[in-house]
Amino acid sequence: MILEAKDLNYYYQDGEERRYILKDTSVSFEKGKFYTILGQSGSGKTTLLSLLSALDSPHSGTVLFNEEDIKKIGYEKFRRNHVGIIFQSYNLIPTFTAVENVLIPMSITENEIPDDAMTVAYNLLDYIGIVKNKADRPVNKLSGGEQQRVAIARALATNVELILADEPTGNLDEEMEQEIINIFKKLAHEHGKCVIVVTHSNEIALQSDQAFLLKKGVLSSHE
Amino acid sequence: MNFIKRGFLSITRKKGKSLILLAVIFILGNLISGAISIQQATGNVETNIKERLGAATTVELDYEALDALSEADWEGFEIQDIGVDLIKQIGELSYVKYYDYSMSTYLGSEAIDSYQGDMEEDYIHHGPSMDYMLKGINYAPVLDFEEQKGKLVDGRVFTQEEVDNGTSVAIISKKLAEKNNLHVGDTFTLANAVYTYDNETGEEELVTSRDVVLEVIGLFESQSIREDAEVDPSRGMFDFMDIEYQNTVYVPNEIVISETEYHWQEYMKADEELAEMMEGEEQSFEYYTPLFVLNSPEDSDAFEEEVIPLLPELYTVVSATDQYDSIAGPVESMANLSKYVLIAAVIATVLIIGLVVLLFLRDRKRELGIYLSLGESRSRVVGQILIEVMVVALIGITLSLFSGNFLAGQISNTMMEADHNTSYEEVMYYSQIQTDVTTADVLDSYEVKLNSSYILVFYGIGLLTILLSTAIPLIYIVRLNPKKILM
Ligand SMILES: Nc1ncnc2c1ncn2[C@@H]1O[C@H](COP(=O)(O)OP(=O)(O)O)[C@@H](O)[C@H]1O
Ligand SMILES: [Mg+2]
Repeated sequence: MILEAKDLNYYYQDGEERRYILKDTSVSFEKGKFYTILGQSGSGKTTLLSLLSALDSPHSGTVLFNEEDIKKIGYEKFRRNHVGIIFQSYNLIPTFTAVENVLIPMSITENEIPDDAMTVAYNLLDYIGIVKNKADRPVNKLSGGEQQRVAIARALATNVELILADEPTGNLDEEMEQEIINIFKKLAHEHGKCVIVVTHSNEIALQSDQAFLLKKGVLSSHE
Repeated sequence: MNFIKRGFLSITRKKGKSLILLAVIFILGNLISGAISIQQATGNVETNIKERLGAATTVELDYEALDALSEADWEGFEIQDIGVDLIKQIGELSYVKYYDYSMSTYLGSEAIDSYQGDMEEDYIHHGPSMDYMLKGINYAPVLDFEEQKGKLVDGRVFTQEEVDNGTSVAIISKKLAEKNNLHVGDTFTLANAVYTYDNETGEEELVTSRDVVLEVIGLFESQSIREDAEVDPSRGMFDFMDIEYQNTVYVPNEIVISETEYHWQEYMKADEELAEMMEGEEQSFEYYTPLFVLNSPEDSDAFEEEVIPLLPELYTVVSATDQYDSIAGPVESMANLSKYVLIAAVIATVLIIGLVVLLFLRDRKRELGIYLSLGESRSRVVGQILIEVMVVALIGITLSLFSGNFLAGQISNTMMEADHNTSYEEVMYYSQIQTDVTTADVLDSYEVKLNSSYILVFYGIGLLTILLSTAIPLIYIVRLNPKKILM
């Protein structure tokens, strides 16, 4: 198990009452597999992902990375060295070019980065489908699909095994969506990454190795 | 793409914002640099002028306090003299470099002609002349020479023996010597003439006279001749002071005492009324004005503090540097103004830059959240922003370093000239320690300079101010929650 959530509880205080978004949620993920977490809008998918990616902490319960509590690793350090996060709204930095956006996490991580980071970044972008002349453009001069590819390249830049994506195709048309999903499959099956994608789309869930359904704070296997 | 490189790239990529920040820093920087320039210039004036005014101090009656005394206060009040013992006690204080206490008296002469400067031609002699100031010396090397009021150009100064014994030797000015063809080793004769004054007729009548024969042992020249004197409105006063000095005859103090005593006794013989009045009173002919030269003009305050308690009632300490306050009006008001401008400019800078940076950061909230989501430490995110602001600040401050200094020089000169012309009268009075330094000299020595201490102080204050103003928005970064921003 590369990533494991145990008895996660997360709630919002609503007056006197606690409104639970996640209640005693446990789930585990393996390397080399493409997972989806399915759920309706407002079901708590983003909340779960934020806990798995150490952008937030649960009120109780633990997240284990390779059997180690990520709290013990340190949230900041965990994000820096062990996880790549992809957002629905890309979240690239418009001041910088595509390749510069990919270079940023390389300068932050403590993971081994090959000497010529620039070449690695271009190759990564090329592999994801961004050619050199587009890689040198400021990111806001790229289409949505292209921007999400850059975001995926950025998530891969630090050579992490864990890729978490929150509705990565939510802003894209169907054709583009399928291309992105194909990339995720390739990453899991050819490169041995653990890819977890949060979505509300059944079609995507059908293409994953395993799908979970989040409903009323409870996570169950989805067939 | 570490945080340093990101900082520099952000500056060049977001030119508009960088230029706005630069402009704001430049404008505020001009205010700060101008105020600091003026502060430094006024500070320099004070040290320079006080240096020129010298470290001479004296102990005199406090005339202001005397004026303030009511008639009732005067009842039974007796003004005490400053005794030699007290003078010596003060002279032993550590602040004092050397000191002298001397008497002086005026004598005339039939045998020699006094120096009269440029006024010689139309000088009309009225009544008995008392042209020569006999100045008594206790400090053998002559304090006036040590203090560069005069300079020995021929012969020698007194020996301690001559001072102790009251030997009939004198040091006179070279001009007086030339006029009378006197040389070192020659003797000349002054007359201690006693006159009575008839109140009804206004006639003066010679009662008696005795010769004072002195041997010239040295010649001096005045050191404070002003080259630029023509344009000076108070020229007349300086001429008067110069002529008086050229006709000064330095002698051992004992000679002055004995001549004063003679004069006084002969005068009493001639005036019976006065003699009756003074009958039985202890008579002292030794009335001294001491002169203490301090190690440095900066010691005057400390010296004054220690001396005041030792003095008899109604005496006060007067320092040459006291004069500074009366002649430095325009510079002082400029110093005050610049102090307030500096304080206001620093406060304004902290607020304005703080606000500008905060607004810019709010625009970049998402970018900052991304860094955090990628696991960048908050201190490095803060570091990147600091680099961006401080690099721009360094450029803005460097630009305003020159322009603010230049503008300050222009503006302050104009303002002080106007100030000088309208509101300050030059207060001139004649005293032992009076120097000929005027408000014009103060303004002359006022100079806004671009020197290393100004540059250092300005960079220090400027960059610290900007740093302080960036501190507030940085709290904003520390509190950012990347999940809320990004998800
Ligand atoms: N700050 C908040 N205060 C109270 N409730 C919140 C807050 N943020 C999110 N929620 C609620 O938490 C639930 C889960 O949200 P989220 O995890 O974003 O769902 P999803 O990603 O599945 O749409 C939603 O019902 C939402 O209304
Ligand atoms: Mg969501």
